[in-house]
Order: sequence, then structure tokens, then C-alpha cells
Amino acid sequence: MRSIVYYVREFLRPEWLRKFFLVKTAPLETPSYFKDYPSLTGKECTACFSCMMICPAPNAIAVLRRQDRWEPEIYRGHCIRCGLCVEACPEDVLASGRILDTTHRDRTAFSSWYHLEVDDTLCMRCGNCCVSCPVNRQVDPQLAGTGTSASDEVVMRVEGGRVRILHEEKCTGCKTCEINCPNRAIRVARMVEGVQEEAEA
Amino acid sequence: MKKTVDVSIPLGPMHPCWKEPVRLKCETAGERVLRAEVELGYMKKGIERIMRGRPWQEVMFLAERVCGICSVIHNMVFIETMETISDIAVPPRAAYLRVIANELDRVASHILANFSYCYTIEHETLAMYLLNTREIVLDNLERLTGSRINTAYMIPGGVRFDLLPEDATAMLADLAKVEAEMRRHTRIFETGPLIALRSKGVGVMSREEAIRAHTVGPTARASGVEDCDLRLRHPTYRELGFTQVTRTEGDNFARIMVRFQEIFQSIDLIRKCIDRLPDGPIRGGGLCKAGETSYAGEAPRGELTYSIKTDEYGRVLDIAIRTPSVMNIEACAHSMITDATSIADVTSTFISSDPCIACNER
Amino acid sequence: MSILQDIKNAVRSRSIHVSYVDVGSCNGCDIEVLACLAPRYDIEQYGIYVHNNPREADVLLVIGSVTPQWVDKLRDIWEKIPEPKVAVAIGNCPISGCVYARKGTLTTPPVENYIPIAASVPGCPPRPTEILSAILSVAPLIFKDYEEKQR
Repeated sequence: MRSIVYYVREFLRPEWLRKFFLVKTAPLETPSYFKDYPSLTGKECTACFSCMMICPAPNAIAVLRRQDRWEPEIYRGHCIRCGLCVEACPEDVLASGRILDTTHRDRTAFSSWYHLEVDDTLCMRCGNCCVSCPVNRQVDPQLAGTGTSASDEVVMRVEGGRVRILHEEKCTGCKTCEINCPNRAIRVARMVEGVQEEAEA
Repeated sequence: MKKTVDVSIPLGPMHPCWKEPVRLKCETAGERVLRAEVELGYMKKGIERIMRGRPWQEVMFLAERVCGICSVIHNMVFIETMETISDIAVPPRAAYLRVIANELDRVASHILANFSYCYTIEHETLAMYLLNTREIVLDNLERLTGSRINTAYMIPGGVRFDLLPEDATAMLADLAKVEAEMRRHTRIFETGPLIALRSKGVGVMSREEAIRAHTVGPTARASGVEDCDLRLRHPTYRELGFTQVTRTEGDNFARIMVRFQEIFQSIDLIRKCIDRLPDGPIRGGGLCKAGETSYAGEAPRGELTYSIKTDEYGRVLDIAIRTPSVMNIEACAHSMITDATSIADVTSTFISSDPCIACNER
Repeated sequence: MSILQDIKNAVRSRSIHVSYVDVGSCNGCDIEVLACLAPRYDIEQYGIYVHNNPREADVLLVIGSVTPQWVDKLRDIWEKIPEPKVAVAIGNCPISGCVYARKGTLTTPPVENYIPIAASVPGCPPRPTEILSAILSVAPLIFKDYEEKQR
């Protein structure tokens, strides 16, 4: 009996009655601050691959060559909508929710370094890493099939029967060498740091 | 030979009451449950295996996806472990923002647990009220971090987004609404005579059993275990002044009421955070280094531990996660469900311990 | 015959029974499906009823990348659903495996290898509105004039 009275009281509350008779489901709009799939802003992509390197989901983003320019493409079903690529992009090519506004206002960014290491006990000196490296191909198109190079500007080359890393700072972290290594001897470490510039006084 | 067991009743892995697959085998004599056994392994994804050899920006997202309900605390504990390893200092504003995100997530998780319980005892009115209140909390989490679930808010040395002053005012207004609604829902739960019939004195776990089974979180606090909230040891929570909620009954009713009380406590904590929010940067920077440590934090379900070993470039070499549900589920099967007077109480008792199978199996 | 079909179409469009099965996800999509029940999204005003019984379901929501335990059980569940039936993949996990599709994983995505999937909702997790519109858009495609299409 007490519960019946209770429910009658519950359903006779003016607030409940008003809601029951008048309110329909609110128009279900996605709020503007929701981090949706990144969209292109139209600014020029410089193919620095920062977005691809920081992306935590496999095969979610790829920077592709269109007719005359580079353009990042997001794959739905792989992208987890974390927004790291939007924050990492130095050129503001991508936009999602209000991440761009907040990063500009707070002057936040991600800076990344790449470190290459070769395990000499595993390395077979085949030179696959040096040949496959896209930066190497750009610097020295004459790079030999065994990985030897006359240029001092390459990221790495085979010298005296072992791989020597010359310019670590040129590495873009693409891990092509790691994929092409038959013995998993070369490893690329991607180090990322979230930084914020001091606000101007 | 005397027959002791009438029927062995399997519940699950697909069951209307359970959001996630788990199998519960109950041996019954008539309506009485003599023994219960939990069978896990339907959700094993091998997250710890995937995490090995990866830098923090990839492991962070895997850690979040250990459990979607309490993703913020997984993120927070992993990041704070990495910070302990690498001696990264967090700016005070970022520490307070972390607490805000964490407490919003805790409120959402507790409301969901209580929703599940009310849904299981077929009090659908209260369940829907609770679920509607949860949407307001998730709106605020979305305003702060940009997504409802799996927020990816914290990074080593700070947080990703700042809290704007106008968002803070909107959040305070929403919190007042949530608190008013939760007071009403708590009263409905506390004074409902039919709820009391289904909850009071059902699934009792004594303090000794709770300590012996190493239960953690609201399940332990409802049985009267003192000093089992790791927020008491967290530096930011200490500044805010945090006291533990404890009840002594140890039944289903107490477990749900502990969660209701913790919701109000969390709302107070968020208010204090917004009130005292210091100015300053939200990111301090800092690279992850080599080291090995173990660090624990308080998840909505209890103590969550990450043991991590990293190499000099911040990659995770070895990782072990200990989630709270492991202990709670076993304690639930052995102490609460055993000697339940009815099969109908088994599901509600199991849900009242807030089992999270995805946490449990990774 | 067509009058009967019209009645069936009318009834089916307002009575969609949904069952969801979690085959190894992080739980996030699970609770977003539950959030659809909330009065804000109010899935039941469209005649969609969410429960977890495959034997009376029309739509099966598959959540999660498939773990080895579920490989045979998922097919069993699919066979237990009466015709007409449809399966919808919720979230990234059934489509690609999300972050779990990496070296060392125990899961075997995608879920299309095991049961036919009619539609998928990408996102990690998708918003409740996206889930809702996916169910509403896929259901009439399968259930409208089902008997006439059979002949």
C-alpha cells in the first residue's frame, strides 16, 4: 500500500507530468566540442608525417600523394578519434572539434625525437635498412644495393661491414627499416613529449 | 548415497542481466544455492602482450581500452607510473584537472553500477532516472576532454586540454543539477520498501571474509574495512581533504549505498577543485626514461596497480596490471552467493559487486 | 497476400528487438548501447527493445574483436536468431580490430569472417545517436517485404 501511494505521488509530481506530456526527445545534436574524425582545413600539407608517427591506432591515417600535393587521409573503422594527429600537426592541416583552438590558445604541442639502434649480434649486414629508408633515397639516389654510400648526409650506411648511423636527427620515424629488416636487428624508438610554451607576459 | 546437489544451473555467458560475458555455475538444492563458481576467459585479448615494446603514446590508448567504463583512471594510473619512473613533475593546475576528470568518470561509473543493480532487481523507473542523470555527467566529461568514453586526457607531465572559465561555470551548474537529482534517487532507493526486500540482508559478506578475500573498493568499504581507499594517499586528494565512506552492513543494500554516498563525495571534490584551481601551465614536458616501478591508484571498483619496466627511450619492456575486479568477483562467488536463498538473488548479488569482466581479463 | 505483407511491414517497422553480444571489446561500446536506453536518446520510442535474448531478437549488435572463446559460440548465437535477422557491427573492433590488431594479440578480427554483417558503425566508441541511426536505417532494408523477397 505504501508503495502504491508512493508511486502515485511520484507520477503526480508537476515536473514529471510536464515532462511526460510536453517534452519530446531533445534534438540530438553532436556538440561542437566533440572530437570527431579529423577533417581537412585546406592548408598545405608539407608531408612531415608527424600525424602518422604519433597515431596510436594501426592503419588509421596515411599521408598520400595526390596529383600535385600531399594530403592526409583518415580511415574510418580504424581511427579511434583521439585527436593526437590534430595536436601534433605543425601546419594545422587537420581539425577536429575545438582541439585546434585550444592548442593555439594554450600554445601546447607535441615534440618528437626518433632514435635508431642496431643490434650488432643480430645484424646480417644486408643493407636492406639503408636501401629502404626514404630519407636515404632522397639524399643519395645512387645508394648502392649493399647499403654503401659515398654521401655523408645519409641517415645510415654500411661502413666496413656494419651499419653505422650518421644523422639520427634526419630520421622521420617511419619504421620502414624496421619492417624491411629480415632479422629485427634495427629498432626505431619514437619519443614524444607534450610541451607548452610559456605564456607571454 | 545421499544426493546433495539437485541441479547445477549455468548463468551466462550471454545473460540478460550481464553486460559482459561471464559464466557463473551455481549448484543448487531446491532454490538454495550451495556453491557458485565463476568461469572467466571470454574476453581475453592479450593487452599486456600487445603493450610490450611500445612507447607511452601507444600504450596509453591500450591502457585506456583495458576497461571502457573506468578508462580515465587506467589512463591516470599508467601515466602516473611513467611519471614516477622518469621523475616528471606535474604542474599543479594539471594535477587538479586530472582529479576533475577522474571524479567525473567515477560518478559516471558509480551511476552505471547502480543502474545495473536497479535494472537487475527490475526497478526500471529508478534505473532509467539514474541513466538519464549519467548523461549529464558524461556531457561534462565531454566538455572537458572532447569525448564521452575513452577520453585520452592525460599525458606525461600534464593534461591535454585546459578548462575554460565558462566551461567551469557550466560544469558547476550541471553538478548542482546532478546533485539534486541524485539526492532524490538516493531517497527513492533508501526508503523503497520493495527495494529493501530485495536488497537488505541479501548477499552478506562479513568484515573477516572481506579481508580474507582481499576485496577492494566499494565492496570492501560496504563490509566495514577501514583504510582501503588509495585516494587517502594520493597527494592531490590529500590537499583537497578526503575522507573514506564506510558502511558496516555488508549486504547488497550497503554496497549500492556506498556508491551513492561516494557520488556526493566526488561532486564535492570536483567543486573544491574548480574552486581552488590554480593558474599556470597545464603541461610540464619531460621525456620518459628507464626504470621499473609499481604504482597503485583508486579506480571506481577499487585498487588498480600497474607494474612497469621501461628502457631508456621510454618504451615499455614489461608490464603487469592488477585490476580490482579480480578479487571482488572471487569474493562475490565464494562469500556472497554461497547460501543465497534464491536463484533470483544470484544475479542481483553478482551485479551489486560491480563486476568488470573486461578489466578482469584484459 | 500483399495485405498481409503490408500488415507485417507495419508491425515490424515499430517492433525491432535488439540483442547485443560482447565478443571481446573494452566495454566502451557496450555502455554506449546501454546509454541508448536512457530517456535522452530513448531508443524505445522508435519501437526498439533492447534485451539480451538471441531467440527473440531481430537485430544482433556485435561488439568487440573476436576472441578464440567466441569463434564457435558467435556462430551458435547467430543460428539461434529466427529469420528475418540482421547483424550490425558496433565500433571499430568488429571492423578492423581497433588497437588490438597488433603483434601479440589473441583476437582474430574482423567479425565478417564468422557471421554476415549488414552494416557497421565506426568509432571508438560510436556516439549513441550514431548507433541509433544505424539500427533505424538498416532494419527496414532487411525486414520490408521479407516474405515477398523470399519467393
